[in-house]
Amino acid sequence: MGDVNSILTEAEARHLMRRAGFGASPKELAKLAKRGLTRGQLVDGLLKFKTKPLKVGKKDGLDDVYDRWLELMLKTKTPLLEKLVLFWHDHFATANAKVQNTRRMAQQNALLRTMAKGDFGQFLKRINKDPAVMEFLDTLRNNAKTPNENYARELMELFSLGVVDEAGQPNYAQEDIVQIARAFSGWRLDDDGNAVFRESRHDFNADHPERGPKVIFKSHGMFGAEGVDLAGSGEGAQEIDAVIDAILRHRDSAGRSTVGRRITRHLFDYFAWDSPSTALVDELLDASGFATTWNIGALVKTILVHDAFYETAVPVHLGGTKKSVKWPVDFVVGTLRLLRVAPKRRKWLGLAIPDRDSLRGYLDDMGQRLFDPPSVFGWDWEAAWISSATLLARCGFVRDVAAARAKGKQGFHPEKLVPLTLQTPDDIIDAASNVLGIRDQLSPSDREVLQDYLTDGGAVATLDLTDAEVRNRKLHGLFALLMESPAYQLH
Amino acid sequence: MAISRRSFLKGSSLAAASSLVAPALLGNPFVRKAFADTIGDRYFLSVFLDGGNDGFNTVLPVDDGGATLRTAYDAARTTGSSGINIGPAALAGTLIGTDPGSGAQLALHPALTGFKQLYDAGKLAVIQGCGYPRPNLSHESSRLAWETGTPPGQSAGTGWLGRYLAANYTGNDIPAICLRWGLGGEFRQTATSVLATGRLRYLNFPYDPAFWDDIERKRQAFHALYTGAQSTGLPIADYIGASGIATLLATESYAGLHDLYESDRPEFNQAYEDLDERLGYNLREAAKVIHGIASGVPNVHARLLDVATGGYDTHSDQGSTTPDGHHWGLLAEVGNSLKLFYDDCVDMGVGDKVVIMVWSEFGRRVPQNDGGTDHGTQYPVFVLGGAVQGGVYGNHPNINESALSDDGNTVYSQAAADPFRSTDMRDVYGTILKHWLGMAHGTILGSVLALDAGDPAERWTQENFDMGFLA
Repeated sequence: MGDVNSILTEAEARHLMRRAGFGASPKELAKLAKRGLTRGQLVDGLLKFKTKPLKVGKKDGLDDVYDRWLELMLKTKTPLLEKLVLFWHDHFATANAKVQNTRRMAQQNALLRTMAKGDFGQFLKRINKDPAVMEFLDTLRNNAKTPNENYARELMELFSLGVVDEAGQPNYAQEDIVQIARAFSGWRLDDDGNAVFRESRHDFNADHPERGPKVIFKSHGMFGAEGVDLAGSGEGAQEIDAVIDAILRHRDSAGRSTVGRRITRHLFDYFAWDSPSTALVDELLDASGFATTWNIGALVKTILVHDAFYETAVPVHLGGTKKSVKWPVDFVVGTLRLLRVAPKRRKWLGLAIPDRDSLRGYLDDMGQRLFDPPSVFGWDWEAAWISSATLLARCGFVRDVAAARAKGKQGFHPEKLVPLTLQTPDDIIDAASNVLGIRDQLSPSDREVLQDYLTDGGAVATLDLTDAEVRNRKLHGLFALLMESPAYQLH
Repeated sequence: MAISRRSFLKGSSLAAASSLVAPALLGNPFVRKAFADTIGDRYFLSVFLDGGNDGFNTVLPVDDGGATLRTAYDAARTTGSSGINIGPAALAGTLIGTDPGSGAQLALHPALTGFKQLYDAGKLAVIQGCGYPRPNLSHESSRLAWETGTPPGQSAGTGWLGRYLAANYTGNDIPAICLRWGLGGEFRQTATSVLATGRLRYLNFPYDPAFWDDIERKRQAFHALYTGAQSTGLPIADYIGASGIATLLATESYAGLHDLYESDRPEFNQAYEDLDERLGYNLREAAKVIHGIASGVPNVHARLLDVATGGYDTHSDQGSTTPDGHHWGLLAEVGNSLKLFYDDCVDMGVGDKVVIMVWSEFGRRVPQNDGGTDHGTQYPVFVLGGAVQGGVYGNHPNINESALSDDGNTVYSQAAADPFRSTDMRDVYGTILKHWLGMAHGTILGSVLALDAGDPAERWTQENFDMGFLA
C-alpha cells in the first residue's frame, strides 16, 4: 500500500508518465529514478504549468489551429496540461461542424487551458457564456417566447449532474430543463463575439406571470418540495450563475455532492480505469476536498497518487484487469514522441513519406477529430475506439511511421534508439519494447511470437544490427509489430 | 478458391461437402458457421437517422378524418417566415393511405417522392407512432433504448440484433457489418465479430511495401499476437484480440468487394455518384457487400448490415417547407437514396431478399419552438423491400394539445380501445425477427425481447409479432 509519500518505482513512474502525459523515454525514466521522487512530488511537478492560448494567425482556418495543437502536444514539456485539455474538450464537447467558426473554437480551447486545473464552479459559469458553446447548444436561439431547451438539458445531463446518480435515482425532471431554459433565455453575442444579456429576450416573471417564478429541483437534489427559486437573488442576468450555484449544491439520493461524485468518477475513468466503485469515488472525493473547494488540480493529484491508479500498470498476462484503450490522439502523439519522429510541416503536419495523409487524416480514420467530437456526448471511449476500421487505421499509421526512412529528425531511426551491438532476439525485443514503454506488458507467448519473427522461425540464431539490410527489414518490422500489438493499444 | 459458399452447401451433407473443398477452407470458422444460419439467403439492413427525426413533418395528416388531426397539426405548427407547417396543397403529390385509428388521409412529406414510388408499388410499410413506455428525451438514453430494445433504466447492455447474433453465431464469424466508422449499437454483444468500416476499399491490411518477402512473416506474427490476446480472460483484451483476427481475415476478403462492384455494376455505381448524397454513398457500400455475397466471394457473408446518416437534431432553422430547407433536404436524401438502393437490389436479383428498416432515436415535439422543434417521443418507422407488405400500420399519435404531456409530447399508449394506440418498437423488432430472421416466437421472447410488467394500458405487456408488414 502506498500513498502520496511513496517513492515511485520505475514501473510506477513509467505508468504515471504514460497516463498523465504521452509516455517517457528510457532515458527520462532513468533520470527520474535517480531523483528518487515520491508520487506526490512528481505529480506536483506535472501539475506545475502555466497556460497560454494556441497561436492563431489572422488567416488561419480550423485545420491550422488543429495542427498547432498537435505540434504543441508533440513538443510540450507540460503534457498533463494537454491531457487535461483533451479531457475537458471531451467533457464540454463542442463541434466546429455546427459552430463553423475558427476563432470561437480557438477561444474555447484557450478557456479549457485556463481552467484546466482551476475551480470547476467558475469553469461551468464561463462555459455558460462561451461563444462556441452558446452557438453549439443553441443558447443563441433561446428566448422568452420560445425557450430552447438544448443547452439546459446538456448542462445537467453531460456537463454537471448526469441523468441519474450513483444509485440510479433521477437527478432532475423535465420540468427543471424547461425552467433552466427560461433562466438562460436572452443571452446573445455582441459584435466582438462576447456574451451579452439582452433583457428584451429574457423571460421575466413580471412579463409572464402565467409561467410563474422559475423554480428548479422540486423534490430533487435534497432541496425539499419547494426546490430552488432561481430569482432568489433577483431576476435577469444573474440567473445564469444562480443555476450553476444550485447545481453545485445539488445532493444525490445518498446526500452526497452529485457533481462532486460525477466529476470524480469521470476523471478517474479517464486517468485510471473504467467503473470504479462508489466507495472508491467517495474516498477520492473526500480526500481531495473537491466538493467544497471545486479545485480540479487537487482532485487530479488525489487520483494520481492513489494506489487504485497504479493498479492500471499491472500487465494483463500477470492478471492485471484495469486496462484502458489508448485514445487515438494518445496513440499518435505518444508514438511520435517515444520514437523521436518529428512530423514535417509543409502543406500540413504529416509524416515524411510521399503521398501520405496529414496527422489529422490518420486521426480521422482512427475515429477522433479534435475540435469536432461526434456529438455533444464527446467521443465513446474504451472498446468503442476499436473496430475493424479504426484498428486498420492504427496499423496504417504504424506502417507509415515504420516506413518513414527519411534522413534527419523527420525519419524513424531505430538505430538511434536501440544499441546495434545487441545480437540475440531476446535482447533486441527487450530494447525495442522498452523504447515503447511496453517491455513489462509483453506476455511470454508474445515474446515467442516476436522471436519467431526476428529469426524467421528459428532459421537464424542471432541478428547483425550493424547490417543496414537487417535493420531495415527486421528492426523496422519488429517496431511495427510492437506498435500493432494488442498490448500497445492499451495503457 | 472461387467456390460459392451457397452452392456447395446446397443439398449436400457436411461429409459430402467436405470432399468438395480444400481442408483449409473447411477449417475456416466463416465457413463452418454457415450451417448455423437462420437468416438463410436473406439480408437485413438498418438505417439510422441520427438526431431525432421530426415524424410529424414526415408522415402528415391531410385532413381531420374522424378526429381532429389536421386541425391540431395546424395549431401546433405555424406558417410564415420561420414556420414549418406544410399545407394540404403541398402534400397532393405524396398521398398514401389513411390513418387506421382516425381515418384521416395521410401523406408523406413532399420531399419523399422516392418513398411515394415505393409505397405505390406496395413495397413500403409506414409504421406510425413507434416508441416505448416512459420515453426519455435524451439523445443518448433514447438511442440506447432503441438500440437495445429495452426501455431506459432496464437496459440490457447488448443490442436487440446483438442478442440475435449471439444466439446464432460464435467466435471469429462475421455475420454483420456496419458501413460506418463505428459499431451500430443494435449489434452490440460479445459473442461474435461485427465489422465496421465507412468505406470497404480501406479494408486493406497495411504492410510495409519495402519488403514484400517479409510480409508473410509479419502476417503470421500479427495473427499469433492477436490470437494470444483472445484468451487472456480480460474482456477488453479479448475483444481487441477477436477484433484483430476478424479484421485481418476481413482484409483478405472484403476489400476486394469495392473493385468487384465497380467493375460488375458500372451503371449503378455511377447512379450513386449522380445522386451525390451522403446516405446514397453509404448505401452503395452496403450494395457492394450484397453483390459480393450474391457473387459467391469466399468468406464474405455479413447479411446483417447497418448504415447511418445524421443532421436530424433540428432545434432551429428546421426548414421543412421549401426544397432549400434543411429538413426537406434530409428527407429528399432518405427517399431518393433508398429508392436507388432498392432498384440496385432488384437489379442484382435480390430485391425480394433485402428488408430495410429506417429508424431514429425519437421524434420531435408537437409544437414548434422558434423555427425548429425540440426532442420528442413517438414517430413513424419505415420498413421497405420486395418482400414487404406495403401500407400504413399503426396509428398516428394524438397531437391534440389537450392530449399532450406537460412538455408538449405525445403520450405512449397500449390501451386496446385507444384509436391513437402507440406501436411499441418491440412489436416491430419481433415481427422482423419472426418473419424475416427466422427466429421462433418463443425464442424471441425468451432471449431477445422481454415483456414489461405493469399497467397493460401503459406498458408493453402483450406482444404482437405478426404486425403484417412481413408475411
